[in-house]
Amino acid sequence: MNTNPYGFNQYIKDILIGGKSLVVGLWITLKRLFTRIVTVQYPRQKLTMTANFRGHIEAIRFDDTKSHHCVACGLCARTCPSHVIKVQGEKTRAGDKKVGTRYYIDFSKCSLCGLCVDVCPEQTITFSKEYELVYYSRWDTVIDIMGRLEGSR
Amino acid sequence: MLNIKTIDDATINQRVYQLNLGPQHPSTHGVMHLLLTLDGEVVVKIEPIIGYSHRGHEKMAENRIYEQYLPNPARMDYLSGMIFNHGYCMAVEKLCGIEVPRRAEYIRVITSELNRIASHFIGTMDYAMGLGAITPFLWGWDDRENILDLLEMISGSRLTYSYGRFGGVRNDITKEFYDGTRKFIERLRSRFWDYENLINQNVIFIKRSKDVGVITKEDALLYGVTGPTLRGSGVKYDVRKHEPYSVYPEFKFEIPTRKEGDCLARYQVRMAELEQSLNIIEQALDHLPPGPVRAKVPRFVTPPEGDCYVTFESARGAAGFYIVSDGTRVPYRIKVRAPSFSNLFVLTKICPGHFLADIVAIFGSIDVTVPEIDR
Amino acid sequence: MNITQLPYIKEIYGFLGSDVMSGLVGLLIIAALVPLNVAALVLAERKVAGHIQLRPGPMEVGPHGILQTLIDAVKLLGKEMVTPGLTDKPLYWLSPIIVVAPAFVGFIPIPFSPLVQIKDVNVGFLLIFAFSSITIISILMGGWASNNKYSLIGAVRAVAQNVAYEIPLLLSVMPIVMMTNTFKLGEIAQAQSGLWFIFYQPIAAIIFFIATTAETNRAPFDLVEGESELVSGFHTEYTGMRFSLYFLAEYTNMVIAAALFTTFFLGGWYGPVLPGAVWFFAKTYFLLFVVMWMRWTYPRIRFDQLMNFAWKVLIPIALVNLFITAIVLKVI
Repeated sequence: MNTNPYGFNQYIKDILIGGKSLVVGLWITLKRLFTRIVTVQYPRQKLTMTANFRGHIEAIRFDDTKSHHCVACGLCARTCPSHVIKVQGEKTRAGDKKVGTRYYIDFSKCSLCGLCVDVCPEQTITFSKEYELVYYSRWDTVIDIMGRLEGSR
Repeated sequence: MLNIKTIDDATINQRVYQLNLGPQHPSTHGVMHLLLTLDGEVVVKIEPIIGYSHRGHEKMAENRIYEQYLPNPARMDYLSGMIFNHGYCMAVEKLCGIEVPRRAEYIRVITSELNRIASHFIGTMDYAMGLGAITPFLWGWDDRENILDLLEMISGSRLTYSYGRFGGVRNDITKEFYDGTRKFIERLRSRFWDYENLINQNVIFIKRSKDVGVITKEDALLYGVTGPTLRGSGVKYDVRKHEPYSVYPEFKFEIPTRKEGDCLARYQVRMAELEQSLNIIEQALDHLPPGPVRAKVPRFVTPPEGDCYVTFESARGAAGFYIVSDGTRVPYRIKVRAPSFSNLFVLTKICPGHFLADIVAIFGSIDVTVPEIDR
Repeated sequence: MNITQLPYIKEIYGFLGSDVMSGLVGLLIIAALVPLNVAALVLAERKVAGHIQLRPGPMEVGPHGILQTLIDAVKLLGKEMVTPGLTDKPLYWLSPIIVVAPAFVGFIPIPFSPLVQIKDVNVGFLLIFAFSSITIISILMGGWASNNKYSLIGAVRAVAQNVAYEIPLLLSVMPIVMMTNTFKLGEIAQAQSGLWFIFYQPIAAIIFFIATTAETNRAPFDLVEGESELVSGFHTEYTGMRFSLYFLAEYTNMVIAAALFTTFFLGGWYGPVLPGAVWFFAKTYFLLFVVMWMRWTYPRIRFDQLMNFAWKVLIPIALVNLFITAIVLKVI
């Protein structure tokens, strides 16, 4: 490896060039020392989520029925890779459309892929903007979607 | 580099001792275990032990329909999830014969290249951190954060995007994203000088990386090394150019290569690729065609019987999806070619004779992601 | 009536003025000063690191996080001191205790101002250098006794590094001794009432700075700890207060190194307007800032390069510098 001639001039040159690069490095970090910080002090400051943000799913309230459009077809439950969704519906009268009454997701297993939202024929589910997803127990991760919709009224 | 011969297990005497670098170690990028045999501080033998984060992604595919597998590819190489997602979508589209709208292809290229930049930032800056320079690492994360913000804007997620869908992408890009990307390109270009002078010109950095971990051209080809690691060894091979997919042939970009094959060369290739990726994004934004972003595809695809292999350039090298279909909605078999796997095992060839500190440098410079190796 | 005319005050003054008493008071002051100083330095380090890395550093405890290190100290006091199995227990317990002693002794001969100096020892800085070598022994003890390969590698590196760097350290101070004809730090500082020695001896100053950085195991010479290679080096296995004693010693050694540099090259307490001690501390803290600033800028040097740098670059240059100084002094 040390086949190249390593003369005295090269020795001095190496030291000088190396020293210069070190000084330049110091100068670059000094400049950044006085620039504005970029981090967000999280619990004090909060970011707003973008329009497309994917939190856990939630039902959309439509203006025509003042409620969701879920027909409990179960497509979302079937397409979910992790079997997160449980949905139940009932018919109030024979011949009527089925209406979703219960909709639970086990959020601890959800991978937020968005397939359920894609596949919904009534387009009644969407992503929430919820991002503070910390729970005290596993049961807290089971989210009652219809209950959330009722609660937000 | 000292000239110490590799010795096999039989001739190991009392002089040498073993050191477990990992599974939990600050610089093994996840749960990777390197079993080192050391003579003093000089490595005699290195044995990468993998499988700590094996989750059976390939087996999982055999139990779920093609759509349900969409979240999985991004979880293999979590640093370039968009690219893996793109690759998987391409494979299924090829199998089913789905035509993807041009706008969707352009968006896929833009997002893939953004993701590649984000991944290279981790690769290069993590390497710098392996050498002990922590500040550039955090600066790199700052720049990467901008990319994640952009990708979050369109896909809603920051790491495992699941943005691609068969026949296109999930949703169209917004004006906000378009302007933000333009601004990001400007911003990043203005910061290259800092990175160049802080890291690449720094005498300690050069001393630490030059002539360290030299992968010769022959070794690289023998071990099936791909990606920036291969290009650092002087082989001009990039899937985007040589086996073009998507709309990559429509863009002008260079393949940066270096002849040396050492850690410095690999670092320089990655930094040069950042600029090329920026060029591609700029061209794609300039010529973004109008139209739909998603082709009409059935709700659940049912590919015909047969198989297909699609290869694509991930941030770590040539990755590939091999899908065998038996004509049902569930794939018969999916095999993933993970570039990190073949890149990793070149370590066994190049590490002996280096110092312990160099192992960290070499390991950082080949830039592997462990979940992709283990899958 | 002047208060000093009161007889008993005079007596107290006389008693305080005695050698033993001033030494005792001085040591007490050191004992109080050192941990507080370290607390301030750790906070400063974290703030410098934070702002260089575009983040604010500690912010939560107290305004702008100024009480963070105090809380950290309390936390460390409350932690369990784990002793792993198969350690060499006496050595394992002793080593963090021994490592602080030289750090305290190092403050004795340092002249903070013409009046504030605990004892101007005849051998001067040789006392500091001699005691600082004990640090290495304790690091070796800790690394050996931990029964951890990473610790052992770190400790072995520490010994080699310190042996190599003590030579350029002494060689770079020798020209100063030749110029002032004394080992006493107070007299060396006094000799700089005119021009500071950094202008006479710029090369010696640079070598001294590099060598002290290496002696105190600071980046870019922090191979002893090198967290990306050796996890945490010689103190990998130490927890709680034992760990913080190592920390205390590291930062105190930094202060001593910076104070020595100030005394040798930056004119000690000399400076306009403000009192001497203020100048001394200002210079010392500026140097400490430079050390921190360097740590967050450079990558870590490799072990063989570290050795090469000492033996092939620093020592020859220091010798040449010493030689030239000798000739110039003789001619003048």
